[in-house]
Amino acid sequence: MAIITNETPVGYTLPEIARQFSTDMFAAGGVKTLHNDQAAAEIEGLSGPIAVGPQVAALIFRMMRLCFEDGWFTGGRSDLVFRRQMGSNEFAVAKGVVKSIEPEENNLRIFCDVWVESGSGEKPIVGTCSGIVPC
Amino acid sequence: MNQFSKTRIARDENGERAVYEDIEVGSDLGELEWIVSPEDIDKQCLIDDDYHAMYVLGGPDGGRIAPPQIQYRPPRWLFSREYNVRGMFYKWGMENVKPILPGMTITVSGRISDKWIRNDREFVEFYSEGCDETGDVVFRTTRVHVLDALKRMTAREGEGIDSGIKAEHI
Repeated sequence: MAIITNETPVGYTLPEIARQFSTDMFAAGGVKTLHNDQAAAEIEGLSGPIAVGPQVAALIFRMMRLCFEDGWFTGGRSDLVFRRQMGSNEFAVAKGVVKSIEPEENNLRIFCDVWVESGSGEKPIVGTCSGIVPC
Repeated sequence: MNQFSKTRIARDENGERAVYEDIEVGSDLGELEWIVSPEDIDKQCLIDDDYHAMYVLGGPDGGRIAPPQIQYRPPRWLFSREYNVRGMFYKWGMENVKPILPGMTITVSGRISDKWIRNDREFVEFYSEGCDETGDVVFRTTRVHVLDALKRMTAREGEGIDSGIKAEHI
């Protein structure tokens, strides 16, 4: 059941989704990449392997799925900026807050500020997501 | 101290890396057909560690649906068919117009929509959408990638281990 309803107020804090990444998680394909191999990352100018951006962003999408369910699967929108790379062994937590609510046809579109926070408190991913709830 | 490279990569096992001047704004990326399999959905759940019942078992009114972000890779395949870019992901716009279902055949098309230089970095933007068998749009997406991890004034030489061109599977 979706967490966000037509009674959810602006300012509501979304449930956090956290994950500890590890380099092994990015090695499933069996190919050396800048996500799982030190040498492959260094030759590109990186200090070490970096997490796969879409897999980190998926924490935000999981949060949206939890908040909106059907209203995320049909009509969900996201606009994310990847401000810096995360190391492939970093901890990440998706967070968000309801920013605004607008009518859309016979429903409401709920806009949320969303971000991913690293273990050091930085925000490598920031953006906006929205989903649909019935009036 | 890390001895990581101070040059941008010129080529990898899949050929020359795309350079900024190669990228033509407005150019068509073509299209591909993607048949969404149950195994694709299983894989997406695994890599995202998200096992919602709708993804795994299906809902009360029907079968399974895919996590919407499963649409990440097919547009990237289209982009990679034209340009071998192994840079940084910068922006991801995504619209889930309809649920993605197992067995669905999605025709994915795309085009280069913009490119620019800022802070000595080279950016390329492309737009892509996926349509089902009836021609209805299933998803829309706009992506921005930065060419290379290093700045554009860095010399380009040498061969990389990784490549922007990957096997085309979820």
